[in-house]
Amino acid sequence: MKRRFAGLSGVFAAVVLLAPLPVAAQTGATYTPPRTREGQPDLQGIWQVLNTAAWDLQDHGATLGVPAGRGVVEGNEIPYRPEALAKKQENFKNRQQLDPENRCILPGVPRVTYMPYPFRIVQQADKVTILHEYSRIIRYVYMNGNPHPEGPIDWFMGDSRGRWEGNSLVVDAIHFNDATWFDRAGNYHSDALHLVERFTPTGPDHLLYEVTVEDPKVFTRPWKISMPLYRRQEKDIELLEYECGTYLLKQEWQKPDSPLFNQR
Amino acid sequence: MRQWLFATLAALTAALFMLPITGRAAAPQAFYRPDTPKFPQARSWVAQRAKLPPYRAPRTPDGVPDLQGNWNGPVGGGNDDLEEHAYIDVTTPPQESYVSDPPDGKVPYQPWALARRNEIRAGLARGWPGETGQRLYTDPSSLCTNGMPRLGFGGQEIIQKQGYVLLLTANTYRVIPTDGRAALGESAKFFFGVSRGRWEGETLVVNVTGLNGETWIDSAGNFIGPNTHLTERWTRVEPNTIDYVMTVEDPTIYTRPWTMTYPKRRTGTGPGGNAGAITNAVAAAAGAARAADPYAKEVWENTCLEGNHDNVVLLKKLGFKWFDAVTPPK
Repeated sequence: MKRRFAGLSGVFAAVVLLAPLPVAAQTGATYTPPRTREGQPDLQGIWQVLNTAAWDLQDHGATLGVPAGRGVVEGNEIPYRPEALAKKQENFKNRQQLDPENRCILPGVPRVTYMPYPFRIVQQADKVTILHEYSRIIRYVYMNGNPHPEGPIDWFMGDSRGRWEGNSLVVDAIHFNDATWFDRAGNYHSDALHLVERFTPTGPDHLLYEVTVEDPKVFTRPWKISMPLYRRQEKDIELLEYECGTYLLKQEWQKPDSPLFNQR
Repeated sequence: MRQWLFATLAALTAALFMLPITGRAAAPQAFYRPDTPKFPQARSWVAQRAKLPPYRAPRTPDGVPDLQGNWNGPVGGGNDDLEEHAYIDVTTPPQESYVSDPPDGKVPYQPWALARRNEIRAGLARGWPGETGQRLYTDPSSLCTNGMPRLGFGGQEIIQKQGYVLLLTANTYRVIPTDGRAALGESAKFFFGVSRGRWEGETLVVNVTGLNGETWIDSAGNFIGPNTHLTERWTRVEPNTIDYVMTVEDPTIYTRPWTMTYPKRRTGTGPGGNAGAITNAVAAAAGAARAADPYAKEVWENTCLEGNHDNVVLLKKLGFKWFDAVTPPK
C-alpha cells in the first residue's frame, strides 16, 4: 500500500510543479462556453486537478511521499466542533489504518473530484454523468426535475441533483454515509453532509470547481473549497483504468495474515 | 458430521453465487425450477435473425446508426455457464449455448486448455455435478472484479457522442473511441482491455485488445488469456433489438476463432426482458410496479466491495485461490 502511494506521489508532484494558474486568477472571468445540442453550457471533456488537495485540503508542508501544498479551503480553517477536531486529529494519527481510500471503497464526494485521476463529464438533457478513471466510478447528476428522494438514505457518493445557473452547473448533494473522508489527512464528515458544488467554465480549458460544505454534526458553520479543473491537453487522452479493489484484493489474498480479512 | 459440514459449505457457497453476477448490480434474482423450459440463446436467435427483413436504423446527428437507449442483457440465467446445459440449480436454468460458431456450441479449446477449464469447473464447489469437492477458484466477479468479455453480457445504456460510444452498466462503464485513434502498446494490459470502434454500414465494430486475461467469460470457469483479442459487432436489426456478436480469437488457447451471439432487447419492450441475473438497475426498474415511480429510470448507487466485504472474507476463509491469467504452454 505504502509503495503504491509513493509511486503516485512522484508522478503527482511533477505535475503539480507545472500548475500555472492560481484560483484567484480565474475567479470572476466572463467566459461564454459553447453550447451542447440541447442548448446547455458545454462542460464535456476529460478533466483533472493539479493540486495537493487529495493529501490535505489545508496548507501543509511536505513529508515522505506527500508534496507540500497551499490549501484549497477558503481562509484555510476548517470550522470543526471541538470534539470533532479531536477525532480529525485521531484520524490523522492513524491514517494508514483508517483512511477509507486504503480499502478501495467508494471515496465519496468531493474527494473523488480531486484525486489524481482524470474524469470525463458527459451531458444529456436530463442528466450529467461524471465518469471517473478511479475504480470506473459513475456519478450521475440528475436534472430531470425529480427532487432528492426521501431519506433516510446512506450512500457513499450521495444523491446529486443538478441545475444550470448561468453557465455554471450547480449540484446539490445529500444522503451521504459517514464512511468517507475528504482527504488523506483525516478530514471527515458525518451522514448529515450537505454539499453545493459549482462547476463554472472560466475558459475553453478550465473549470472553476467550488464546493460549500455543510455538516452541523461536525462543523460549526458552512465552509468552502475551490480549485481549478484543467482540461487534459494530450491529443489521445482517454480514461484508462484503476481497478483499486481488485488490485488490493489480489495483493492481500496471498498474505497469510492480511488485516483486510481479519477486521470486522 | 463431516458430510453435513460439506453440505453446509456448499449451500453457503451456492448462496454467494446468487449475488448478482455483475457485482454491484441490484437486479432481482430469478429462481428456476428443474422443469423450466430451456432458454433460447445463439441457436434460436441465429434462426430467428435469418428471417428478419433488412433494417436501416435511424441516424444520430453525426450520421451514424443510432443505438442509444437502455438495452437488456440476455434472457435466462445469464452467462452462468455459456455452453448448452440442462438445469443445474435454482439460478442456472437450462439454456442453449451462447456459442453460434462452431456449430456444436462448444468453446474450441486446445486439449490442455479444456483440461484446465474442466479442472477449474470441478473446483468451483457450487454443488454442481462432477465437482471434486475441493475449493479451487471462485468466480472472479464474486470478488467484485469487472472486465471484458464478461461485461459484454450485461444490460446497459448506450450513449453516442462525437468521437466515442459510451456504455453505462449499473456499476461500471466502457468508453469506445470511434475517432480512429490507435490502441495502446501490447505492454499495457487491462481488465477491460482497450476498445477501438468503427462504423461499418449498420454495424458498430469494436476491437478489444490489451486484455490481462484475469477475468472469466462466465461463472463456470470458461476463460480468455492475456493474448486474447475480441471483436464485437453491434447491429440494430429491429427498432428494439440489437444483434450482439462477439468473436474471440487466441491461437494460444483455442483451436480456432469462435463466436457468441445473442439479442439485446430494448428495456421494457419485446420478449426476453431481464429475468436473468445480468441486467442493469435501469432494466430492473422497468417493472409495472414501478412504472409510475418518477425515479424508476434513475440508476441509484450500487456497491460491491463496500457491501460485500463479509462475503469476500468468507470466500477467502473457505480457501479459494486467487485466479491469475492462464499461462499457455510454449
